Amino acid sequence: MIDFNRFKLENGLTVLHHFDPTTPMAVINTLYDVGARDESEDKTGFAHLFEHLMFGGSVNIPDFDAPLQNAGGESNAFTSNDITNYYNVLPVQNIETALWLESDRMLSLGFTPKSLEVQRNVVIEEFKQRYLNQPYGDVWLELRPLAYHKHPYKWATIGKNIQHIEEATMDDVKAFFKAHYHPANAILCIAGNISLEETKRLVEKWYGDIPASLKPERILPKEPVQTEFRELTIERKVPNDAFYYAFKMPERRSFEYYVTDIISDALGREKSSRLYFKLKKELKLVTSINAYITGSLDEGLLIIDGKLSDGASFEDLDAALWSLLEELKTELMPETEASKLLIKIRTVKEFQEQGLLNRAMNLCNYELLGDANGVNEENALYQSITPQQIKAVANQLFKKENTSVLRVKSIKE
Amino acid sequence: MSFRSQQPETKQVDHISFVKPQIFDITQDVKLLWMQEVPNETVRLDLFFDAGITRGGKSIPAIVHSLLLSGTNELSSVEIHEKIDSLGGFLDTDISFETAVVSIYCLREHIRPISNIVANAIQELSFRDNEVEDVLRSMKQQYAVNQQKVKYVAQQQFRKQLFASNTDYSTISEESDYDDISLFSFKKFWKEHYLNGLTRMTLVGNLELDDVDALIDLFGKWAVDSKVNYANGFEFQAQRLDFPKDGAVQCALRMGRFLFHKSSPDYIDFQVLNTILGDYFGSRLMSNIREDKGYTYGIGTGVMDMNETGYFVIVTEVGKEVLDKTLHEIKFELERLQTELVPEDELNLVKNYMLGQLLKSADGPYAMLDMYNSVDMYNLDLSFYDDAIQKVKNITAVRIQELAKQYLNFEDFLIITAG
Repeated sequence: MIDFNRFKLENGLTVLHHFDPTTPMAVINTLYDVGARDESEDKTGFAHLFEHLMFGGSVNIPDFDAPLQNAGGESNAFTSNDITNYYNVLPVQNIETALWLESDRMLSLGFTPKSLEVQRNVVIEEFKQRYLNQPYGDVWLELRPLAYHKHPYKWATIGKNIQHIEEATMDDVKAFFKAHYHPANAILCIAGNISLEETKRLVEKWYGDIPASLKPERILPKEPVQTEFRELTIERKVPNDAFYYAFKMPERRSFEYYVTDIISDALGREKSSRLYFKLKKELKLVTSINAYITGSLDEGLLIIDGKLSDGASFEDLDAALWSLLEELKTELMPETEASKLLIKIRTVKEFQEQGLLNRAMNLCNYELLGDANGVNEENALYQSITPQQIKAVANQLFKKENTSVLRVKSIKE
Repeated sequence: MSFRSQQPETKQVDHISFVKPQIFDITQDVKLLWMQEVPNETVRLDLFFDAGITRGGKSIPAIVHSLLLSGTNELSSVEIHEKIDSLGGFLDTDISFETAVVSIYCLREHIRPISNIVANAIQELSFRDNEVEDVLRSMKQQYAVNQQKVKYVAQQQFRKQLFASNTDYSTISEESDYDDISLFSFKKFWKEHYLNGLTRMTLVGNLELDDVDALIDLFGKWAVDSKVNYANGFEFQAQRLDFPKDGAVQCALRMGRFLFHKSSPDYIDFQVLNTILGDYFGSRLMSNIREDKGYTYGIGTGVMDMNETGYFVIVTEVGKEVLDKTLHEIKFELERLQTELVPEDELNLVKNYMLGQLLKSADGPYAMLDMYNSVDMYNLDLSFYDDAIQKVKNITAVRIQELAKQYLNFEDFLIITAG
């Protein structure tokens, strides 16, 4: 159970407060309701570029990191296709420094040409390091546009094309900031040994005068229901053949989302999962196999990926995989298997709540979904899932026409 | 001037409460450390073995490590994992130079049954043919994938060269290691380094004393029966070696040299120098090579602790076309530390940052146990940290310059590039 308080400033900023008297540290977590899905198709990679620019100095403070480090703290951020999340961890006695820094960059960025130039290069190096210079590094750049034709999930967070980043102008950057990085589009969580009264006073002091803007209206192209099987085979200089099966799955706010999560665990989370046992240990078709969900807010993907054993064929794998998926569609999951999956979920949750930063991030995430208290109801939701529901959702998911398959064929150097 | 231009007042961290775990002697040299005050249901148990990668030829330690839960005469690996999963347990295993660790994470109600399963799986390990083949097949593929990663190649070659004077430490994996199913040597290694290789146990969790006794009874029989010896006195050659890779768009760089053991009087002072140079986001290497030049996504430095010694390393991946410029900037930053005194502002910032990080590393029972363990393993105690606070607070720019002159000569480094 994570206790919290919630209040809202006049400019629209939502604030969550979580009291923990046992730690000497404090966390300031800011979730901006903007991700790669909010980019226009000819200017992708901006949310992520912003994650970098937000450390390049703000309107009144030339350097973000040095004052925070001077206060004994550190910070970082991440961007997904849905959100951008910034966090600071520092000794609680210096919490005001983090509020000063975060509020100033919400007020406005410094926008220096130098900062844009350098972060552009850094992002290009990041693109090379993560996507180009790794075996199998580019598969998501290929898989997303295969699975999505209309919805902006069709491009990766880093961008559809690195040229978009190379060509980003200062005007583009300013316009993107103005639209998305303001109080009404943010959720702030303050966690640590600090009272609600003191939190209110400090938040009012630092964020109260930031001008209000309207929350941008989000009208995203809806992905049409997939009606045909899609496949793509690419050839790469990689050691082994690899496969990526993507099945469209329900959106984050639906109950079926949780059911799909359980299904992915049953298939390929652990070394006792169905795919691992059958495809790796028994049939020896693969050397590795995993199943997981993308966890996205709009309609996401359940992914099954892995690498073929030497000598195994994509056709053999395909036949064996579908026969396992058929079992989930026709037979009820045994009680023992369901309880195994549920106890793991309970354990993970208990460990996650161990850390102050995790608690703050989770509260913000659930607030974005509609109510921070969702974090406390999540486990009960999972525990309420029945074998009948699992079977019903498996029938929605595992249809040929709901599937996109990417194969990476290994070519020798 | 707007009130926003002025940083709010800050206070330096001046006190950190270090909490000592309860300590149980399993044998004269092997102990269990227990942190009991945990405010929730979670438990972590770590078993440390004298089974690091330097303990056997070829890839034997890594292979045996991967085989630990691969089945007994009664149970297959899937059945063992099925049992652990059914109790909500997570296993995490790690193998480094001088140590191998098996960790169990679970809820406290399940620690005893899960421990029984793990203990039985390791004790009765049967090296079933099909399981051994499966593990080797996966490891061989992973090896091939790793060979395509410039970072991995640089790391392996760095190790090979830095530890060149000692074959146990310098041998790196080869593809053929995974073709040679040498059951006899696997079994020998397992008996010598696991069944007689437990060097330490650490435990975090709100358990009863009975539980702790039971865990000691269960795993204590594997305690090593004589003092473990680790290598020392390595010699290496300062040189640059390049490992080209066609088609790579980035080059991985590792450069380093030997330093000293964690008990050295220079250790903490050097950590301040290390932080200034490359161990935080505002470090000189990050500011210059990432934030000013945009040559890389990241660059960092670290002090690596070993049982008898320690070494220093600089790690990055940079655009292939700017590799030489990067090396030039690294040299420039090393020399700047040797010739100019670190300005007071920067030194104060690093002091404050380091004290804040120290406070964070002592936050909560999990962090505190790790902190205690990371000194106790090297025969030091918590006074190490009290001493660290004082040393960080009192260090001067002159002292930092002295250390830079002594330890950061560009010519003294081994430099490996891949890409």
